[in-house]
Amino acid sequence: MSYVSPRDRSQDPTIVQKMVDVMLGDLDLSWMSSIRERVAFRPSDSRRGFTLDDINGGSYGPDTLPEIVRNNFSMAPRGAILVPGLPSLGYRVNRKSDVWADSAPALFEEGKSRRWAPAVDVPWSALDGRDPQDRRELAVRQLATDLVAIGLVASDVPAYWVWRMNQEFHEIKYLLCLQMFDGARLAEAFRKRALYGSGSLGVDCKPLAELLKMVFDCDTYPEASLSQNLVLFPWVQAIGRHFEYLADNAADTILGMRLAQDATRFIAYGTAHLRQLTATRPAEADVLNDHLDLLENGLVGALGAREVIEPLVVLSGGLEPVAGLYVRTTDLYLARLERAGLGDRRERSPLPDFLAMLSD
Amino acid sequence: MAVRFPSLQFFEALQQRTVEARDRFEKLGYCDTTFGVRVGEELYRVAFEVYECTGVWEGGDPAELDFVLVGPAPVWSEMVEAIGRNGGADADHTLNTLSHIGDVIDVEFADPERYDRFFRYMTSIQEFFDQAQYLDVDLARESA
Repeated sequence: MSYVSPRDRSQDPTIVQKMVDVMLGDLDLSWMSSIRERVAFRPSDSRRGFTLDDINGGSYGPDTLPEIVRNNFSMAPRGAILVPGLPSLGYRVNRKSDVWADSAPALFEEGKSRRWAPAVDVPWSALDGRDPQDRRELAVRQLATDLVAIGLVASDVPAYWVWRMNQEFHEIKYLLCLQMFDGARLAEAFRKRALYGSGSLGVDCKPLAELLKMVFDCDTYPEASLSQNLVLFPWVQAIGRHFEYLADNAADTILGMRLAQDATRFIAYGTAHLRQLTATRPAEADVLNDHLDLLENGLVGALGAREVIEPLVVLSGGLEPVAGLYVRTTDLYLARLERAGLGDRRERSPLPDFLAMLSD
Repeated sequence: MAVRFPSLQFFEALQQRTVEARDRFEKLGYCDTTFGVRVGEELYRVAFEVYECTGVWEGGDPAELDFVLVGPAPVWSEMVEAIGRNGGADADHTLNTLSHIGDVIDVEFADPERYDRFFRYMTSIQEFFDQAQYLDVDLARESA
């Protein structure tokens, strides 16, 4: 054990005396009278149930949060009465605009309501009878291998940041926990796809691994959110769509559609988060654009890597559909960055040159 | 009684199916979007809240919608026919497949954030159309 309470409570006579008093029926109950705010929260829409947004009122809601939290570094929940001497958990992310998106509570509720279980919601038997050495099947398994790696990192990134984030931003922490689960399910589902029947995993892709390390190894949470939610996951969404488009069986149709669906929640949070951040602190856009200069270099490497582009080419029946996929995804990616307050990166990003090379 | 496709009655019948097949839509989760379906020149607006379709209308301003699925009438008719034949869209006739490459169905949008709702709720929107398998649909192919 590394943390030690400053008082030896088991040997403290005042505490022992208080316990004896309670056992004798002498209840203090001072905690009962010190409740700060009495409010009546109810479901605003019974169809939706009792949601986080339904209880975000008064001093319990996020609107009263200061831009920089300076008063609570403990595990005390937002709105609770803070007593002196609470231990600090050493949070490093204490600035609201660094993490906040107004849509986060609703996205958390949505993610739970749109849950699915790869074990039972994918008709795996639709894959029966496939030749494991078929070029198409090998390509699907290589793509699945890439996606498993992405899913694992998509769990690690929020895990790295969630415990550094102040408890006052609990909705964002809940959402990061959801992202961990979404990442784990992505890895689970595509590991099962790769190994079903007489399957196998493919080759790990070094340029993709380098991109994922860039996403994992960010210096700040806004950079991490940008990297994972607005750079990596738009491509996961696109691959999910393409996977569904190329599907010749019900299992792959569902896997692709669910992948695109789950990936889009990452994007939705990232867009809202970065837009609110750049609206609150416009100078951050420059910092984030500098970060993107490095990250997009890694993205080009991953998109051009044999273990990524070749299975797409094999499955798509040629390079042209893949180039089309890359162009459309890049257009949407750049539009989202603009929507997030990062401006037009078309002249600055290496992606347009990369795409031009692909089309030549 | 047969409902003609395309028509407002067709979309009203699908709306009713989201109530009758509530379990299917509840399992897919919240779906909060208002989108358009343009069949040839005709625009239909479809609103979803929580688990069900809460309204369908003919016409309106596409700029107020999250996104609009746009396709020629024969493409939509083929999709509805495939849904009836296969008990739901087959791999060649899902909304994603038709709108992904080749622009068989185009997706028009003004705001990428609102466009993303198409993907966030795609399984629910697909299920909405797949419910056409339970309708007696009169495919008005002459409108193509």
